Amino acid sequence: MGNPEVNKIGISNSIRTLRFLNNEMTQKQLAEHIGVTRQTVMAIESNKYSPTLEVAFKIAEVFDLPLDKVFSYRSGR
Amino acid sequence: MDNKRKLIQWLQETSFREVTLFVDFLVTAYISYFYVSQLVNASTEQLASIEWLSTVLFEVIVYSIALMVVSYIVLAFISDDELSRPMDVREKQINLVGYKYTAIILQVGVILALFQYNIAAQDFEFMQSSLPHLPLHILVGAFLIAELAHYGVQLYKGRSGDIYG
Repeated sequence: MGNPEVNKIGISNSIRTLRFLNNEMTQKQLAEHIGVTRQTVMAIESNKYSPTLEVAFKIAEVFDLPLDKVFSYRSGR
Repeated sequence: MDNKRKLIQWLQETSFREVTLFVDFLVTAYISYFYVSQLVNASTEQLASIEWLSTVLFEVIVYSIALMVVSYIVLAFISDDELSRPMDVREKQINLVGYKYTAIILQVGVILALFQYNIAAQDFEFMQSSLPHLPLHILVGAFLIAELAHYGVQLYKGRSGDIYG
């Protein structure tokens, strides 16, 4: 059984995994680093909300990774 | 046990902004109930009296201000500095979605009230009702429903995460 979120068209991310790999960083800690609320981090993680470009770069900066390692785009084509 | 765990999880996921919106929603719902109950329990003479109506509207305003002030003081005590934190882009978007529904309801309310006023001026009742000052009640009702929609939509969109729908 595959995760339906992975096959979804649009922007997806690996924030949950990256948080876990970074000393099990909590959503609240990440939210404080990037200047948004924990609810926004939750919405981004579950692919319900696409972050602004600025927030996306900030998230990538927190994990010290390039943007395309954190976010990926899956088009319908 | 499972329900208890779900409740704890729900409380942990609830932001201060959600609590604030929920309190605002409850306060507005109580004011709406107060206004409607005043209308339902009023006599025909009272409904026709502009003095009685202005007293009810004044009470609604006083209740609104008093309840909002009390609720914000209580929320300020329990908050962990979230009250002064600015909204992020997502919250601003959700806020705008809430305002969209508010604007639609207010527009419909104002148009209905104007329609009723014009039709009543020509001795023809648009809504089969003997309620005096009906355009004013339509406006107040639209305002209260718009406020409820404003808070309700924000709560729903914030919780579901689906702000584009």
